[in-house]
Amino acid sequence: MALDKAARKPIRDGLLAGALEDLDQVSLYGSHCPSCGETSLGANDVCPNCGGASVSRTPLSRSGTLWTYTVVRHKPPGNYQGPDPFKPFGLGLVELPDGIRVLSPIDAPPEQLRIGMPLQFHPYVLRTDEGGAEIVAFSFQPVA
Amino acid sequence: MSEVYILGAGIHPFGRFDKTYEAIGSEAAAAALKDAGVAWRDIQAAYLSRMYLPATSGVRILRKLGSTDIPVVDIEAACASGGAALRQAVLAIKSGEVDLVLVCGVEKMPRGFMDPSMIYSPWQIELGMSLNPGYWSMRATRHMHDFGTTEEQIAKVAYKNHRNSVHNPNAMYRKEFSLEEILASPLVCDPIRRLEICAPNDGAAAVVVASERKMRELGAAGIRIAGVAHTIARYSADFRCPADSMSATADNEGPTQVTARQAYEKAGLGPEDVNCFEVQDTDAFCEIEIYEELGLCPLGEGGRLIDEGVTDIGGSHPVNMSGGLISKGEPVGASHLGQIVEIVSQLRGQSGPRQVEGARIGLAHVLGAGGNCAVTILQA
Ligand SMILES: [Zn+2]
Repeated sequence: MALDKAARKPIRDGLLAGALEDLDQVSLYGSHCPSCGETSLGANDVCPNCGGASVSRTPLSRSGTLWTYTVVRHKPPGNYQGPDPFKPFGLGLVELPDGIRVLSPIDAPPEQLRIGMPLQFHPYVLRTDEGGAEIVAFSFQPVA
Repeated sequence: MSEVYILGAGIHPFGRFDKTYEAIGSEAAAAALKDAGVAWRDIQAAYLSRMYLPATSGVRILRKLGSTDIPVVDIEAACASGGAALRQAVLAIKSGEVDLVLVCGVEKMPRGFMDPSMIYSPWQIELGMSLNPGYWSMRATRHMHDFGTTEEQIAKVAYKNHRNSVHNPNAMYRKEFSLEEILASPLVCDPIRRLEICAPNDGAAAVVVASERKMRELGAAGIRIAGVAHTIARYSADFRCPADSMSATADNEGPTQVTARQAYEKAGLGPEDVNCFEVQDTDAFCEIEIYEELGLCPLGEGGRLIDEGVTDIGGSHPVNMSGGLISKGEPVGASHLGQIVEIVSQLRGQSGPRQVEGARIGLAHVLGAGGNCAVTILQA
């Protein structure tokens, strides 16, 4: 079934690169700054390190390794969209070869989490908004 | 420029109370004024630190002490709000425009986890990134991996602080727990457990600060503010809420290192000169990292300090004699001024069973959302 292009939206503007109809081709957006060399998360206009305005937007690598993690054992407060009833879940910083560590839910059994484990980017449809658009979120998963 | 002195300090206990924030705050302010021996009408400017209270909280709280036309300014810098407010008072006095200033920190917070929309974006909340202890825990996991810090060392910090709190009538819990009880308490976010984290609550603390000239005119003996500094974290130097990522290549010093160095330089002192410390133990691990970043030991060796009892009352560098935020709770806007009240009491030799013998110099440290960090050094 062909989807209207507007039928999917990223959970945060500028977070995801690639056409959202084909999730296999979607990745996180980064913004590389040629002045200081830093890559920041999202499609930014200004480098959050040096303030340089000549940043170039680039899709980030879809694979990385777990740099640190925790297991969230209490249901987060507010409008949490995870499983109901709540299930403890892994949350970690995933180090990408682009020189950035991204905070992400880690879609693996908590007892399997280890620093250094290889992980794969996993975009997915989280929910449908009031206008009927599918909201695309992300996690990282162990490499199969 | 004038030196600046604390003439009086007052506190409303930290805990959960069936009374308004106006009442909690004005009680602490009145106690500070009484301790300083000055009247509200003599105060020339007031700064009110708070995070979760409505606009013009300062005016609403301090009007209860009587009518005035002085500037009353609310200040917010997350967990460092009290340090930011105290710094404004110091700058105002050093400018020469005013000689007598009140600084009051107040908070009244609901039970449980803090309202996430105060700190996080909607998408972070949807994905479950909105639990503050999650961020602290990830720092702990990495520190354990890099330096071999253990769960038992983290629990020892909580043990020390709960034990110290038994002697502090202004703390919320005031209960000693065994190491076994702490290690058996439920995990909140691995590896941090329920008895190792602080809870948001209600409370207030206040100080009256004065120029040297005013202090002499009043014939008072104040505690000198030797240095006060406030910074926010440099790029990617601190992974703390609500950060969504960090650099893997930038190598900036953390906010505690930067802020402490500024405060030490202003005071002309170093960590070895300080007799007692009150620091941001939002969780027990955090205190270990702060030992390192305040310069009490090299980076990575914080666990050794707790093992060796260096930071116990009676050790060479006592930390959180008051019981810390783990036992007092964290009324965010009041927490730094609460630490100041404790240090003032220590430097006056009025801390009873939790007194650090012969304390002459003390340091207070807070660190929180947005990488806000404040460090104040006091000297008797
Ligand atoms: Zn840059």
